[in-house]
Amino acid sequence: MTLGIMIGIASLTVIVAIGEGTKSKVLSRIASLGFGPESFSVYSGAGRLFFGRNRNVTSMTLQDADDIRAMPEVAIVVPRQRKRMRIINKKEFTSTRVYGVSPEWQPARQWKVVDGTFFNDMDMERKRKVIVLGATPAYNLFGEKDPIGKKIRVGHVFFEVIGLLKKKGLTESGYDPDNRALIPLTTSMSRLFRQAHLHSMKVVSIHPEMVQKTMEGVTQILRRNHGLSSLADDDFRFVTPEGIMQWVTESEQALNRMLFLVSTVSLLVGGVVIMNILLVSIRERIREIGVRRCFGARRSDITQQFLFESILVSLLGGLMGAILGWTLSTALRHFEFLPVKITLDPFLLAFIFSMIVGLIFGIYPARKAALLSPDETIR
Amino acid sequence: MTTLKVIEVNSIIKTYKSEGLETNVLKGISIAIDEGDYVSIIGPSGSGKSTLMTILGCLGQATSGTYLLDKEEVGQFSDRELSRIRNEKIGFVFQAFHLLPGVSAFDNVMIPLIYCSKTPKDAKERVERALIRVGLEHRMNHTPGQLSGGEQQRVTIARSLINDPKIILADEPTGNLDSKNGIEIMATFDDLNEEGRTIIIITHDSVVSEHARRILTLRDGQIASDRINENFKKPRAGFSRVATQ
Repeated sequence: MTLGIMIGIASLTVIVAIGEGTKSKVLSRIASLGFGPESFSVYSGAGRLFFGRNRNVTSMTLQDADDIRAMPEVAIVVPRQRKRMRIINKKEFTSTRVYGVSPEWQPARQWKVVDGTFFNDMDMERKRKVIVLGATPAYNLFGEKDPIGKKIRVGHVFFEVIGLLKKKGLTESGYDPDNRALIPLTTSMSRLFRQAHLHSMKVVSIHPEMVQKTMEGVTQILRRNHGLSSLADDDFRFVTPEGIMQWVTESEQALNRMLFLVSTVSLLVGGVVIMNILLVSIRERIREIGVRRCFGARRSDITQQFLFESILVSLLGGLMGAILGWTLSTALRHFEFLPVKITLDPFLLAFIFSMIVGLIFGIYPARKAALLSPDETIR
Repeated sequence: MTTLKVIEVNSIIKTYKSEGLETNVLKGISIAIDEGDYVSIIGPSGSGKSTLMTILGCLGQATSGTYLLDKEEVGQFSDRELSRIRNEKIGFVFQAFHLLPGVSAFDNVMIPLIYCSKTPKDAKERVERALIRVGLEHRMNHTPGQLSGGEQQRVTIARSLINDPKIILADEPTGNLDSKNGIEIMATFDDLNEEGRTIIIITHDSVVSEHARRILTLRDGQIASDRINENFKKPRAGFSRVATQ
């Protein structure tokens, strides 16, 4: 009968541990993803954050980037093209996100190159076939060897590896920021993707407080350039650090709500089971109740005895649940399956919750036992 | 010298109602029992013995009539006060022993002390004394399952004595025992009465009832006879022979 309580309390402690872990990890990760408070991205196509409603929007062009760059509030604009492609080094191959970007990408993202160099304006101008690899494709194609100066094939085009980006590591959601390769935007437009429209732009404003104003200006420019009527929806979307944080928080809240529901239902089921077991036990222990009443037990004594037993049973379940929850949280942390932060709060909650369950679901059986007439119980 | 009446029952009627049917189990019973008396209430099944016992033992209330226990009107008492009376003034001995299973003899005897308004400091010594009194000093830590029927009944007697009650109320105390153990148990009651305790034994066994000084016969919810036992305290041939073997 303690199983229900145990599951309820275990899930409760795990929920809190995961919640706390996710929150602290997301905060530190967002900062490390190169999203400073003064920057944001504009993606082609309507939708929300990274989820576009229509993949085939071709309205965003280099003209948009130039117009935005001309705004006084804007420090840097990085136009981007993107495609997932297969890249090959002799017999090794891997699939990665290939970005066509301008050289401003590096100062905008503040992402260090650990080996070799980043491409420059000259490379851009001459549409050179040079590539900067992220840590993941570099490892997949070259292992521990130095990739600089080597030729690799992207689709059907050969590129020379000129730089290697610093490794960042997986995010909590399993996204690998290192799984990317960068080529000059002009090269991607004319030699690789053979398309003129942009996938997105990164905009860095001159000051964090100017971000809102910059976004309004960008909206005006894009709507004008794309010829959108005042009734039409935007055919682009913004991705901001606040937007990501809000989205993560919402997802986390949804997950928490679900887990909370699971633990509430488990606790309720556990409570009802305890109540039923106690009711059955009253029938079995009717003689005991009778004997105690014969020798002077008052109704309140019997109520207390049964309530005490019910609280004890659910506290036992709570204790086992807390141990199980702690074990699960520790295991999750050990195997780096989910971010987990173990705090004291869920264990205090477990103690209080299991005591409340025992109390609430023990009252009815306890009163029932106490109200039995002594002469009926002893016969 | 006038003897104190420990129990005075006047025109007690007990009616059970079930599915609209009324059954009169006790039909106006009046009894007075002196302090220190040894009374047996005998009668066939359905005569109302057990119902009378529940009323005398303050386990249930009469439908009408008055019941004075040690000069206190029981009918006026709340459940809490009835619990106190049962705890302080009455010791119960049951046919089926009613010991808590899995609990040692010591702890079973301790039960009435748990519910005292103030648990005595010498509770442990009192339990030990009570168990020594019934000759079970070597069985204190045994559970009911490890004791014979006779030993279990002696534990219940020790339990009934622990609070030094005025009345011992025994319902068929030898009903579940063989004759040898039955004789031993009855000898214990005889001794307790000699010490001055009021003993009331409910039984349908005439041999058991012959131990008492006064024999009340119940029939159809009424007292059919109330007589003084002429053989009281005379050696009971068959019993004493077995008992001394």
